[in-house]
Amino acid sequence: MKIYHIALKEVSKRKIRTIYTSFGIAIAVSMLISVMITASSGQREVFQVIARYGHSLSIVPVDTQTQQSLKSFGIGTGTYIPEASLPEIERVYQSAIIAGWEKMGALIFQEGTIGGAAFPPPTFAPRLYEETTVKGKDVVAGGVVLDKELIARFWWDVAEGRFMEHEGEVVIGRLFAVGTETKLGDTVDIGRNKMRVVGILRETDSPDDYMVFMPIKTLQTLFNKQGKISMINVRAMCPKCPVGEAAVEINKKILGVRATSQMEIATAQSQIFQKTAALLVSFVVAALIISSIGVFNIILGSIHSRLRDIGLLKTMGASKGQLIRLFLYEALFIGITGGVIGFVIGSGLSYVVGPILFKDIVIKISPKFFAIALLLGTITTIAASIYPATYASKIRVAEAFKSL
Amino acid sequence: MSDSILVIKDVWKTYEIGDERIEALQAINLDIEKGSFISIIGHSGSGKTTLLSVIGGLTEPTQGSVSLDGADVWKLNDAGLSALRNEKLGFIFQFSSLIPTLRAIDNVALPYIFQKRNNTDIYGRAEKILSILGLSKKLNSFPSELSGGQQRRVAIARAFINRPSIILADEPTGDLDAQSESEVMEFFSEINEKEKTTFLLVTHNMELAGMTDRIYRMKDGILTNGG
Repeated sequence: MKIYHIALKEVSKRKIRTIYTSFGIAIAVSMLISVMITASSGQREVFQVIARYGHSLSIVPVDTQTQQSLKSFGIGTGTYIPEASLPEIERVYQSAIIAGWEKMGALIFQEGTIGGAAFPPPTFAPRLYEETTVKGKDVVAGGVVLDKELIARFWWDVAEGRFMEHEGEVVIGRLFAVGTETKLGDTVDIGRNKMRVVGILRETDSPDDYMVFMPIKTLQTLFNKQGKISMINVRAMCPKCPVGEAAVEINKKILGVRATSQMEIATAQSQIFQKTAALLVSFVVAALIISSIGVFNIILGSIHSRLRDIGLLKTMGASKGQLIRLFLYEALFIGITGGVIGFVIGSGLSYVVGPILFKDIVIKISPKFFAIALLLGTITTIAASIYPATYASKIRVAEAFKSL
Repeated sequence: MSDSILVIKDVWKTYEIGDERIEALQAINLDIEKGSFISIIGHSGSGKTTLLSVIGGLTEPTQGSVSLDGADVWKLNDAGLSALRNEKLGFIFQFSSLIPTLRAIDNVALPYIFQKRNNTDIYGRAEKILSILGLSKKLNSFPSELSGGQQRRVAIARAFINRPSIILADEPTGDLDAQSESEVMEFFSEINEKEKTTFLLVTHNMELAGMTDRIYRMKDGILTNGG
């Protein structure tokens, strides 16, 4: 038998006290763990979206006037990029990407290869946006180059019908269809033209769900915007492409446009996550401090109720150091119990809180959260027990034995 | 070289409660040889428990010195005092002195845990002592599952686990029936003879005191030779 066996027997025999003390720690630990798991899962979600959709750039006119409702999605109407500047944008992009690779130490033997491996060329998908009224409702009509659009937004798909193939055909967003009670095969008036709905897009959680799409040439003709585009979406087609460098170069060399890398957006979102999480963590740390005060009181109370035992241990030759170790082991076991309970509750809580904060979040619990919970539980209880343990070690036997 | 195990020189213990001064021990002098079997008798409040407490390094005397196996008890630091209690002393208290969360055998083995020495067969020794004291079937029982007498015998077993030089026993057979009392005293005598362990018993039981080699008498904090 070792000193930790005595501590273990003490905490296991005094179940109520152990559970009561552990629970105080577990509540604070569970809050912290749920915040951490939710924040980490949310953050990972953002980067996974970027990874899934490929590194990409959005290029819009500098003075885009965005509709308030669509502002957060970067949808703007009323200002344009000349279609003729597209080849120049492509050229600046390509040379910036190559320079970016070289800066990272990659060997470019010939254009389109990195270290001898080929990578597909980027896709530049232009769009034109025009505000119009359909069935009495204000709507944004989008003109696209379908083959490029399907590469740039490869998650695009029709839930019903098909994509437009002929003049006079449109596809509509799911929420537009629901809001205006438009069905497949219906005819809608856009400008002076009657157009037939041949497809309804699968929901994408983007402004596309509220829009009407047609070939860009059709929209340009309808609104007399020949040679004008509202934005260009660039899909890099290679993982880890230095699109950030390309964005900088485009902004520097092409007048009147603003290029933003999706990675930058993700990073900005990530920073918001981190700041929000840090704020929540600071609240939880306060809760943890309050819990540790509770543990302090319980351990101190426990020591007072065990004065006789402490005196006995001293008469058997327990030194100050051994008594401190005994009480710190007890704190350690209580902390481990609290950490484990806190981890279990916190993990469960993140499945409840996560989806409330972030729609479609996939909660992922990694072993590091278990380690953090254990560490927090043990550090808190041990920190709260240092004074009571030291106090116990200094108790004089004669004081412990009033009867002696 | 002296063969003394315990030398007490001019020990005083004064308690001050408000304006009142209580002389619990007055000018105590005692020299006990190794292997002695001694008892101190006296009424309740005569100071005999205080004397044991001063000898065992539990209560500091107001004046005087206590030398135990060559070590000046009250000049030792905390570590030295802990080692002395652990290696040289075996305490038997008049109150229930078991750790409630440990089994009987763990309670007996407890002093060994605080020892720096290596003794792998400590549980074997604990089991042997408990068996001698008639507790072979209670090894795994917790104190709450034992009678007062059984608890006392476990505490007695524990006092012997580290083969101490001296046993300080305060009313050691208080909770025991006549037969158990006789068995325990027989056990004490056997250990005293075989292992030359010194015994200092404090009791008000004259019959018990009569079974020791020498009796001292304590009255109002003054120790006298009881004959």
